[in-house]
Amino acid sequence: MNQPLILIIEDEESLRRFLIPTLSGHQYQVLSAATAHEGLAMARTHNPDLVLLDLGLPDQDGMAVLKDIRSWSRKPVVILSARNQERDKVLALDQGADDYLAKPFGAGELLARIRVALRHTLRAEVPEPIVSCGGLRIDLERREISLDGQSVKLTALEYRLLEALVRRQGKVATHSQLLAEVWGPGGEGNTHYLRIYMAMLRKKLEADPTRPKHFITEPNVGYRLILEAPGD
Amino acid sequence: MDSPLPPRPILVALGSEVRALRLIQAGFRLSRERAAPWIAVHVETGGSQLTEDAEQVQVWLQEAQRLGAGIRMVQASTLAQGLSEVTRSTGAQMLLLGRSRDRWPWARMGHSTADELQRRGLDTHIEVMDDRKQLSDSTASDTGFGAMVGALSVLAVSSGVAWLVPHEGSIALVLPVYLIAVTFIAHHWGQRLAVLASVLSALLYNFLLETPRFSHASAHWPNLLFFLAMLLAAQAVVGLLHRLRQQAREVHRREVHTASLYLLARALARCRTSEEVAAITAEHIRRAFKVEACLLFPQGPEWRAVPPPSLDPGLPPPDELLPRLDVGERPGDPLEPLSLGKTYCLSLMGTDRSEGVLQILPREPAGLPPGNWELLKVFAVQIALALERLRWLEEARKAQIESETERMRSTLLGAIGHDLRTPLAAIHGAAGSLLLPGDVTDSTRRDLLTMIQDESERLAHLLGNILDLTRLESGAIQIQKEWQPLEEVIGSALGRMEKRQGILPVRVELPEALSLVPLDAVLIEQLLVNLLTNAQRHAPGQEMELRAWNEPGWVHLEVADRGPGIPSGFQDRIFDKFFRLPGAREGGVGLGLAICRAIVQAHGGKIHAENRPGGGSRFRVALPLDGTPPEPPEGIL
Repeated sequence: MNQPLILIIEDEESLRRFLIPTLSGHQYQVLSAATAHEGLAMARTHNPDLVLLDLGLPDQDGMAVLKDIRSWSRKPVVILSARNQERDKVLALDQGADDYLAKPFGAGELLARIRVALRHTLRAEVPEPIVSCGGLRIDLERREISLDGQSVKLTALEYRLLEALVRRQGKVATHSQLLAEVWGPGGEGNTHYLRIYMAMLRKKLEADPTRPKHFITEPNVGYRLILEAPGD
Repeated sequence: MDSPLPPRPILVALGSEVRALRLIQAGFRLSRERAAPWIAVHVETGGSQLTEDAEQVQVWLQEAQRLGAGIRMVQASTLAQGLSEVTRSTGAQMLLLGRSRDRWPWARMGHSTADELQRRGLDTHIEVMDDRKQLSDSTASDTGFGAMVGALSVLAVSSGVAWLVPHEGSIALVLPVYLIAVTFIAHHWGQRLAVLASVLSALLYNFLLETPRFSHASAHWPNLLFFLAMLLAAQAVVGLLHRLRQQAREVHRREVHTASLYLLARALARCRTSEEVAAITAEHIRRAFKVEACLLFPQGPEWRAVPPPSLDPGLPPPDELLPRLDVGERPGDPLEPLSLGKTYCLSLMGTDRSEGVLQILPREPAGLPPGNWELLKVFAVQIALALERLRWLEEARKAQIESETERMRSTLLGAIGHDLRTPLAAIHGAAGSLLLPGDVTDSTRRDLLTMIQDESERLAHLLGNILDLTRLESGAIQIQKEWQPLEEVIGSALGRMEKRQGILPVRVELPEALSLVPLDAVLIEQLLVNLLTNAQRHAPGQEMELRAWNEPGWVHLEVADRGPGIPSGFQDRIFDKFFRLPGAREGGVGLGLAICRAIVQAHGGKIHAENRPGGGSRFRVALPLDGTPPEPPEGIL
């Protein structure tokens, strides 16, 4: 397989200096741009497999760059954002970004996110029928869920929520995305429904609901289903 | 006696009248002197009470309560009955009451409450506080039909008495009888009837008593003398009474004024904001003067009207009005009210400037009785001083914040100087030695790189803390409260810590019932991480406990450790910025707990630290369950 091409749009030179060698060292081809204008031009000419996009760019809002890319490409975009910018992150995710990384982040975290995002493009949104991790086994085809070999019964809504999370496995899912998928249009305001159902899922599917291994909360953003052992 | 009996209480009977204040003060004084408890009693006799009276009674009862009195409210058919019941049930040593203000003199003589109580044979000392001759204003009724009949009856009775007196044609024996009658009439029905009575009694004397009886033909000099004596007596009595009445009225008025000023001053002393001052003032003025009142005072660049809106929207704005009130139209007395249409405006003159404008709208077109303006001006001064006091407090607070910020800035510089430079120096040094030519063993390289990573993490953490605290304190962080299960945020806090450090020895105890709490997940996660990190630092490797429980209106969180605990006297100071316990281990810069406090305060909650029984410390956070929780989805809970 070809080495995937990653475009970095980031104005901070120090970050570029860290990102470029790290990614090249892990079998990725790397392009980088320091401004939104330059980045968009490169994206159009090279059609990269993934874009790492900083939201705070000097010449144009990162959000505008995201919209532009989404108008012609479905390739994954991972947002680089500062801390305490939950609103921006949620906005970007709801505008079609695939995931985000909060600065400062480590190389391990960066590579994991890129791996998950690229895997989703390859699979083209069709989830594997059976996923499992640790004692948890989810069979979407036969609608069977088990924890440590014990079959677990889920209500219809719990199941739909689980399904939505499995489809995005490893990626963050915002509150509004999950609400729209599980409750349909009009469910947007009922974030607490989502939280309650999430708590039920954790009670049924986590060994210790106060220390979730799979159903991870991204505070004020959404949830992330992790179905791989750490370090995998 | 083995043990001394507790002193019997002192009862004070209160009505709605102004003199109740004197009774309250006397009751308070007596209870102090005799070291006895005292009880304020109000008897409702079932008569239709005016709401204003009822309100006033409440005010007095509250006032008595404030001065340490117990409160009793009883219902009875008469005042005496109610009082005697309470006296018996409490075993009171003394009953203090005001003189009853019955309308009729005969009632006052025989049937006064005090007398009736005496007759009931109570084992208590009854003390009647003299009202300093509370004279009713009877001048208005002195020509009424009832008064006329009364005067005539008095004259008839006295003529009867005079008839029986063996006067033998001498005026000297009859004169006193008529004199008493005319004096009585003057006292009760005023001057005009007294003059009439003098004339009548002269005629009566002439007709009935002068020999030969039943003839009025002869009119000799003793009759004239008689008539003159009557007239003089009536005049003298009326003049005297008039003066007495005026004095009494003046005393009463002063008493009313003192009482209302006293109440106002006390209410004002408790105010914490200008709004409170304005609201309380408007209410007091409304009650005391029976007028509508509105207070205008500056708040920042705006003028606030309390209660809104301003009484007369047509009035010029306060900015234009104040110069006119202060000097313009009546130099010398800025307190003089300015009449604008139906509304009167008074400047609230403080010690150095006007603090606002008081608008008064009399309910009656005639305006206020003249004496009331004086009192109103005194009110205005009191209000102005209260507003001024609050303004100075506010300015002092601002100054304190400024100096606090200044202190924070210098401490921050100090912290940056040391705590930021140390990890930077380490990183710089480690990177430099990695770049040196020559062989570095793999393990050394690894050590140096790990050090660079750890130190840069420490730097990031420190900077994050400084930024968080600055944002929280400046209000730049908009708190986003959402109803959510507590365990979710606990989970993400533990997750964040364990991702870096592996499984932590934290025992989590949560209530079974799943309840939603309004909180900002990001901030509360930070709070929990900080509290757990703090516990970890002081009790490394030992088990920590994280508990949560509900209480109506609140949810409580507790993080407890078995470390050395908090030295006494530091329970509050540990939440101060850059505060580190003396001799503390290597650790943070003293921002973690300050951030906790800021986060809890942003949630409208409370945080405190204490030592645990059995060793260690615990940090307790109470978060308010404010607002209405959202509807749970159907079929759940």
